[in-house]
Amino acid sequence: MHKLGRGHRDKVQQFMTITGASEKIALQALKASDWHLEGAFDFFYSQPHIKSYTDTTRLEELYNRYKDPYTDMILVDGITLLCNDLQVDPQDIVMLVVSWHMKASTMCEYSKEEFFIGLQALGIDSLEKFGERIPFMRSELKDEQKFHEIYNFAFGWAKEKGQKSLALDTAIGMWQLLFAEKQWPLVDHWCQFLQARHNKAISRDTWSQLLEFARTIDPALSNYDAEGAWPYLIDEFVEYLNENGIIQNGQFGDRSQK
Amino acid sequence: MSAQKKKAFQIEAFKHRVVVDPKYAEKTWKILEHAIHEIYNHNASGLSFEELYRNAYNMVLHKFGEKLYSGLVTTMTSHLKAISSSIEAAQGGLFLDELNRKWAEHNKAMQMIRDILMYMDRTFIPNTHKTPVHELGLNLWRDVVIHSSAVQTRLQAILLENVRRERSGEVIDRGLMRSISKMLMDLGPSVYQDDFEKHFLEVSADFYRLESQDFIESCDCGEYLKKAERRLNEEIERVSHYLDAKSEVKITNVVEKEMIENHMHRLVQMENSGLVNMIVDEKYEDLGRMYCLFRRVPNGLVLVRDVMTSYIRDTGKQLVTDPERLKDPVDFVQHLLDLKDKYDKIITSAFSNDKTFQNALNSSFEYFMNLNSRSPEFISLFVDDKLRKGLRGVTEEDVELVLDKVMMLFRYLQEKDVFEKYYKQHLAKRLLSGKTVSEDAERSLIVKLKTECGYQFTSKLEGMFTDMKTSQDTMQGFSARHGADIADGPMLSVQVLTTGSWPTQPITTCNLPAEIRGMCEKFRNYYLGTHTGRRLSWQTNMGTADLKATFGKGQKHELNVSTYQMCVLMLFNNADRLSYKEIEQPTEIPASDLKRCLQSLACVKGKNVLRKEPMSKDIADTDTFLFNDKFTSKFFKVKIGTVAAQRESEPENQETRQRVEEDRKPQIEAAIVRIMKARRVLDHNNIVAEVTKQLQSRFLPNPVVIKKRIESLIEREFLERDKGDRKLYRYLA
Repeated sequence: MHKLGRGHRDKVQQFMTITGASEKIALQALKASDWHLEGAFDFFYSQPHIKSYTDTTRLEELYNRYKDPYTDMILVDGITLLCNDLQVDPQDIVMLVVSWHMKASTMCEYSKEEFFIGLQALGIDSLEKFGERIPFMRSELKDEQKFHEIYNFAFGWAKEKGQKSLALDTAIGMWQLLFAEKQWPLVDHWCQFLQARHNKAISRDTWSQLLEFARTIDPALSNYDAEGAWPYLIDEFVEYLNENGIIQNGQFGDRSQK
Repeated sequence: MSAQKKKAFQIEAFKHRVVVDPKYAEKTWKILEHAIHEIYNHNASGLSFEELYRNAYNMVLHKFGEKLYSGLVTTMTSHLKAISSSIEAAQGGLFLDELNRKWAEHNKAMQMIRDILMYMDRTFIPNTHKTPVHELGLNLWRDVVIHSSAVQTRLQAILLENVRRERSGEVIDRGLMRSISKMLMDLGPSVYQDDFEKHFLEVSADFYRLESQDFIESCDCGEYLKKAERRLNEEIERVSHYLDAKSEVKITNVVEKEMIENHMHRLVQMENSGLVNMIVDEKYEDLGRMYCLFRRVPNGLVLVRDVMTSYIRDTGKQLVTDPERLKDPVDFVQHLLDLKDKYDKIITSAFSNDKTFQNALNSSFEYFMNLNSRSPEFISLFVDDKLRKGLRGVTEEDVELVLDKVMMLFRYLQEKDVFEKYYKQHLAKRLLSGKTVSEDAERSLIVKLKTECGYQFTSKLEGMFTDMKTSQDTMQGFSARHGADIADGPMLSVQVLTTGSWPTQPITTCNLPAEIRGMCEKFRNYYLGTHTGRRLSWQTNMGTADLKATFGKGQKHELNVSTYQMCVLMLFNNADRLSYKEIEQPTEIPASDLKRCLQSLACVKGKNVLRKEPMSKDIADTDTFLFNDKFTSKFFKVKIGTVAAQRESEPENQETRQRVEEDRKPQIEAAIVRIMKARRVLDHNNIVAEVTKQLQSRFLPNPVVIKKRIESLIEREFLERDKGDRKLYRYLA
C-alpha cells in the first residue's frame, strides 16, 4: 500500500470498508477499473466469489468443533458456539446470510454438506477468515438482487420441515429482522395487523409478494392499485390501514416510533 | 282559246315567289297578337286555329321567330298586368276566388296559345334555348301576378288566415285552398315553399307554442295528450286535403316539437297524472297514447322508459325490503308475480310490446329481486306451497302457466345455487311426506329447470324421484317376501334415499320403541340381502308415524306425528306421567329436537295430546308430562308433526348461507383450473372476468373470493405467478 499515491490509498481503504473485501482484492478491482470506485464495485460484484483456496482438512477441523456429539450435524449448541467464536449475536441477520450461502434447508441446523458448501463458497477455512468475511456478507444485504434471493430463501428456511406455510410468529420475527435492514416503514403495522386479524400461517405467495409490495408501493399507498392482483391479505392490510386512520388522504401518519 | 303559236309545254318547279314583304312579319304578328287578345278576352271561339297556326309557322319559317317570341312575351305580360290589377281589386274573401278563376282562365289561354305556337315551341325555342311557351306562361304568371307586391303579401296573409281560422274550428273552403296550393306547386317547388310553406310552418310553430303553453297549464297529462293527438291528426288531414304531401312531415315535426318535445319532461313528471300515475292506475289508453306520441320525438321513448324503470326499481326495492311483506314468503312472491303481470300487460297493450321496454322491465326486476338475499328461498317456498296445496284442482294448462311465471322470476335470480339448495330441501320434505299435489306438476317444473340451467342442476333432483319409485318397488318386494309374518305388526313403509341426491342431514340418535325395532330389523336384513355393499342408516329426524290413540272418554283419534314424537308418545303406553329426563333417557333424542317435539305435543292448542306441568310455554328440563286423557278434537285424524317447509329462522338462514359459500369454493376453483388449462397464461383481471362469465348461470362470484381461490391454487401448485409480471398467472401442468 505504501507504493500507492494518497488518492489511491484512500480509494482502496474505502473499497475495503464498503465491500469488506481483502486488500488484495480491492487492488485487483480498482486496477481493473482504472481506479474508478464505481467501476470497481461493478467489477467486484459481478465476479464470482474469488475462491481462494480452502483447505479441506482445516474445514474438517472446524466442522468437528461445532458438530453435535450424537449426530453428524451442527445443531443449536454448535451454532451458538460458532456465534460466540465469531462474536456475533445468534439473532444477527448475518447468520441468515451464512445459511443462505450454505443453502441450509432448515434453521438451527447445518448438515455437514451444507457447512462445507457454504464455507467453500465464501472462501473460508478458518475462524479468522470467517470473521473477515462477515462485513462482506453484511454488504450483500445491501444488494437489491441478493436481498431478494435471501428474503425468499428465508421462507423455506424458517418454516417447519414438511409444512407448506410459515408459522405466524416465526414469520413476524423474520420480517422484523429483514425489514430492519431494508427499512420498510410499514413493517410494524403489518405485524400488528396480522396478529389482530389473521392469526394463521403465512403462505409462500404472500411472503414473496410482500417484498414486492414493500419495494414498489410507497408508504402512503399513493400508487397502490386495488386491481393489482396483490394477495388478498395485502388488500386487507391496505383496508386496515385506511380504517385505522394510519393512511389518511394518501398521507402516511406514522404513529409508531421507529 | 284559239289556236295560237304552240309553245313547248314545260313543267317548271313551283315557284312561290316569297314576297319579302317587310310588312309581312308585322302584318302576321298583328294577326297573332289580335288572336291572343281575343283569347284573353274570352272570344276565342271566333278564331281559326288552322289559320293562326299557319301564320305562326310562317313567321318562324321566314326567320321571324324572335319577333314572334318577344311579341308573345310583351302581349302576355300586359294582359297579366291587367289581370293582376283586377285581382288586387278584389275585396276580402273574394280575393282568392278571383285569383283562382283568373288562374284557371290563364291556363286555358296558355293551352290555346301553346297549340297555336307549337311550331315555334318545337323548333325555334330549343334552337335558341328560350323558355318554352307553357313554362313561359307559368313564369310570367308567377312574376307578374303572384310576385306583384300587393298580391304576394295579400295571398300569403289570406292563406295563413284561413289555416288559422280552420284551426280554431271554422269551416273554410278547402277546394279553393287546394287549387291555390296546387297553383303554387305548379309554379315551381321554391314558389310553394318560399311563398307559402315557410311562413306556414313558422306561423304554425308560434300557434302551437302558445297553445301548448296554454294547455299544459290547464290540462292534466292525459287530457293534454289527447289534445296533442287531435291536433296532430288535424294537421295530417289538412295536408291530405289541400297541401303538398311533402308538407306533412314538416308540419308534423312542428307539432311534435312544440306540443310534445318541448314539454316532454313536464308531462311525464306531472303530479297526479303523469306517467307514474298512469301506470299505477292502469290507464292503458293514456299510456298507449303517450307511447305513440313520444315515439315521434327524439329521446321521447328513452324518457318514458327511464322514468318507468326508476319507478319499478324504487317500488320493487321498497317491496323487497319491507319487513311486513317479508313475513309471509308465499304472499311476497305472489305479489311479485302480480306486479310482473301488471307491467307485462302495460307493455303489451299500451307499449306495443316494445322490446326495449321489455328489457328495461327485466333488468329492473333483476335489480331489486337480488337486493334481498332471501329471494331464492322465498321463491322455493312459494313453489312448495303451490305444489303442496295451491295447485289442487287446477287444470293442467293453468298449472303450466303458474310454473312458467315462476320460472320467469327464477331467471332473475343471481344466486340460483341458493335456490337449488332450498328447493332440494323443500322437495325432500314434500316427497317424504307424500304431500305433493301432482307428480306431473313436479316433473314439469324439473324439466323447466333443466332447460334453463342444464342437466347438472336437476340430476340430483331427478335422483330423488327415482329413489321414491325404487322404494315403492322395494316395499312391494318386502311385503311379498315377508307378507305373512309382518301382517299383525305395525305397518312399515320405508323410503330408501341415496345419500348424494338428498339434502345432507346430520345423523342423530334416537332409540326406536321395541314394537318398531323388530320390524325395522326385518327390513334392514331384507334390503341388505338383496343389495350387497350398501349401508343403511335410519333417518329418524325425517320420518312420520300414524298412531291410533284412545283417550279418557274412549274417543279415538288417529295421530299423524313425526318419528321423534312417536317415540315419546309410545313411552306413555307404560306410564301416565313422565319427567323430561325420563323421556330424554330412553329415547336419546338430542335436546333441542326433543324440546321442539314436546312443545308441539303439549303446548299447542287443539293438538295437546300431552299436558305439561308447569303450564308454561317453554320446555324446561324440570318439566313433567302427562297423558292428556281429556284431549278432544273435532277431527278424527289429527296432524301434529311439523313437516311443512317453513321460512328459516335467522340462525338457520346463516347456516345455509355458509354452506352455500362452502359449496361455491370448489366450483370457483374448478372454473379457474378449466380456464387456466385452456389459456395457459392469463392475467388476474381476465381470470376474474372469465370465471364470472362461466359461473353466472349459477351465481355471481365475489372477486375477493376468486382471488383467495387463486392463492389457494398457487399454494397447492396448480398455478404460479409469472416471474416477470406479477399480475400474470401460469398454469402448472
